Amino acid sequence: MREIAGDILYVDLSERRAWREPVPHEDILKFLGGRGLNAHLLWKLTGPDTDPLGPESPLVFGTGLLSGTEAPCSGRTTVTCRSPATGWYLKTSGGGHWGGELKFAGIGYLVIKGKADHPVYLWIDDGRVEFRDARPIWGADVRQTDLAIKKEVGDGDIQVAVIGPAGERLVKFAGIMFSVYNTAARGGAGAAMGAKNLKAVAVRGTGALRAAQPARFHQAAAVCRRALLADSGGEGLARYGTSGSVEAVNELRAWAAYNFQRSRLDDVYAVSGQCLAERGYLKRRVACLACVFGCHRYTELTRGEFAGCYTGGPELETVGALGSGCGVSDPEAIIKANELCNVLGMDTISCGSVIAWAMECYEKGLISARDLDGLDLRWGDGRAVIEMVRRIAYRQGFGDVLAEGVRAAARHVGGDSYRWAMEAKGLEQSRVDTRSAKAYALAFAVNPRGPDHLHTETFAEFGLSPEGRALIARITGDEKYANPYLAEKRAEIVRWHEDCYAVTDALGFCAFSSTALYGVTPARMAELFSAATGHEISEEEIMRAGRRIVTLEKCFNVRAGAVRADDSLPWRLMHERTPDRPDADAINAPEELSRMLDEYYSLHGWDPETSWPTSQTLESLDLGDVGRQLAAVGKLG
Amino acid sequence: MEKFLVVYPDLCTGCRQCELACSYHHEGVYSPSLSRIRLVKFEDRCLNVPVVCSYCEKPPCEALCPTGAMSTVPEGPYALVREDRCIGCKECVHACPLGAVQLHPGSGVAMRCDLCRGDPACVKVCAAGAIRYEPLDAAVREKRRARATSLNPL
Repeated sequence: MREIAGDILYVDLSERRAWREPVPHEDILKFLGGRGLNAHLLWKLTGPDTDPLGPESPLVFGTGLLSGTEAPCSGRTTVTCRSPATGWYLKTSGGGHWGGELKFAGIGYLVIKGKADHPVYLWIDDGRVEFRDARPIWGADVRQTDLAIKKEVGDGDIQVAVIGPAGERLVKFAGIMFSVYNTAARGGAGAAMGAKNLKAVAVRGTGALRAAQPARFHQAAAVCRRALLADSGGEGLARYGTSGSVEAVNELRAWAAYNFQRSRLDDVYAVSGQCLAERGYLKRRVACLACVFGCHRYTELTRGEFAGCYTGGPELETVGALGSGCGVSDPEAIIKANELCNVLGMDTISCGSVIAWAMECYEKGLISARDLDGLDLRWGDGRAVIEMVRRIAYRQGFGDVLAEGVRAAARHVGGDSYRWAMEAKGLEQSRVDTRSAKAYALAFAVNPRGPDHLHTETFAEFGLSPEGRALIARITGDEKYANPYLAEKRAEIVRWHEDCYAVTDALGFCAFSSTALYGVTPARMAELFSAATGHEISEEEIMRAGRRIVTLEKCFNVRAGAVRADDSLPWRLMHERTPDRPDADAINAPEELSRMLDEYYSLHGWDPETSWPTSQTLESLDLGDVGRQLAAVGKLG
Repeated sequence: MEKFLVVYPDLCTGCRQCELACSYHHEGVYSPSLSRIRLVKFEDRCLNVPVVCSYCEKPPCEALCPTGAMSTVPEGPYALVREDRCIGCKECVHACPLGAVQLHPGSGVAMRCDLCRGDPACVKVCAAGAIRYEPLDAAVREKRRARATSLNPL
């Protein structure tokens, strides 16, 4: 089991010391790996007052338990820390190949503490760890940094996790980039890394992973691979990427445009994956480790104003945030803005979201061209978006205000601007208009990191695939609940997806294997876990481990002061409709959200008044020690 | 008809399933370092190129092997490294112009693709269709047609 899980590598940057410890077996049985182990480590290593940007705040990287094996789509890495953006719990994950390489070096978890006295990067060469001077590359963009480190080490096949200029400048939505274009984007993990003066973590792993029961594991992986390739959504995902779904989401009136003032546009072809492919912007499909789809894109612009631009992406969230969200429909401007976010190291969702908010402020006269150093920040102006992306990353002019995130920016500008600041818990919402997607609404409200789809991806509620409809029927008893406009049964749907997604993340799988496509079922994950570790686990037990992870993450926020009122949504979604769906229920009305929250807390066994887990619930999940710590500070439900 | 591994880099997504399948088939573990097929990545351009033994008509690895360890079995032909004869001199590694021969990091014996004796594991897991096991004339025919198509204005 030690080989599959990998060791924990602790690094203290202040003392320039690194040491390895094996993961206790019982921790793997309890928290599975990746996201789960990270949650456990962060809980142990922090307290309620840990400053997210302080040297004492640990930054935890966790590979999926199965990352590095042939289990399809299992290469994702989870980054966990106290969020510089929200102050709450942050789990953010990225694909690519870095996590697998770390695992081949015998390391499953990297816990970084302290702060280097000048910029450094880590060079992990199998069992050896070196602290290397990063002063010559401080300020370099993500691509330059990746290439410079590969050159310095003398091996182009290594894997590097990098922050860009945005992370160095502690932009609150700076991400950590893996394999150049794969990002652990949300919540400011890049700022947490920048605050440690840590520019990059380079890895070479030449080791091998052996399943406890190799033939059984090989067989189970093959079953998953076949099931994924047979999923009705697989071909479209491979061909058109995530943005292949733009038209379908738009038709459901769930496409957040013009800073969520619109939920459907007449024509979204220009920002769709179909357009990327048909107009020749798409040059290649790109896969993360062991992925069978390759939904990631590689685009180039060979003509026009932005000729010479090349980048990974754009994804659906990116064309939504930097495109439709800002009223921009020029795919070339979106690709250019995406390239900038990638090489400067920023989350495209939050970046687009703060710019859209500023556009609305500009339109309504709360900020002027003078505030923007003459920039005419009008809806639909792709060039203005590109310029603003640059200013945010380098904290120039008004970019410095936006770099703090939309909640802080709205406080700065004042007036009614909080009403169109599309955030809750301090995180900018991802690109689903939750007024037309009620399971997403609930999942976003209770998400410990803020309103976002990558804790609990409830794509099935859209009813867009037969597999998704069948899943909704299994959870609720009736396929008719595969309807995103209904508020009924949403708590059950969210609960199932929470457990499933936590297991998915812990094992290193992608949402597109278990909760958006469905070939990697909980039963199959249990089979893979059993074969990999030699420890038999049932579907029920592995889903219970998922719930344990979800609950521990909740407890982190409870310990940090979270109450029921924090489980909320952006003001606009709770109080305004769009002209595109004027129906009475096309809103996340506070009363409706409140009803869904009651059902949700009750399904969890959490106190409805405070949202805090009860001691009984924690005991039943073998989290009694966590309960005792919460009891000591008077925060048990 | 004699078949070869034919690689189509423009289709490769870089998922490394080929390397994992190869190391599992030959060694029972997952490790790109133990794979006979190796992926070269240019990550800034998202370009991925699988590199594998191309079964030269005049294989320098075999010609230069001083002990006769680098050989082929005629049925395929499939490469055969006679481990009892290999002395780990690395002549084959240096001789291969493609970088497709390496030494096993554990045993120090030469490693070269043996086409899994006619049923290559890498091909079975390549969802992108970037590695195929096909007769050479089929590959050339496809290339001819692709090239001609690119010149056809319709």
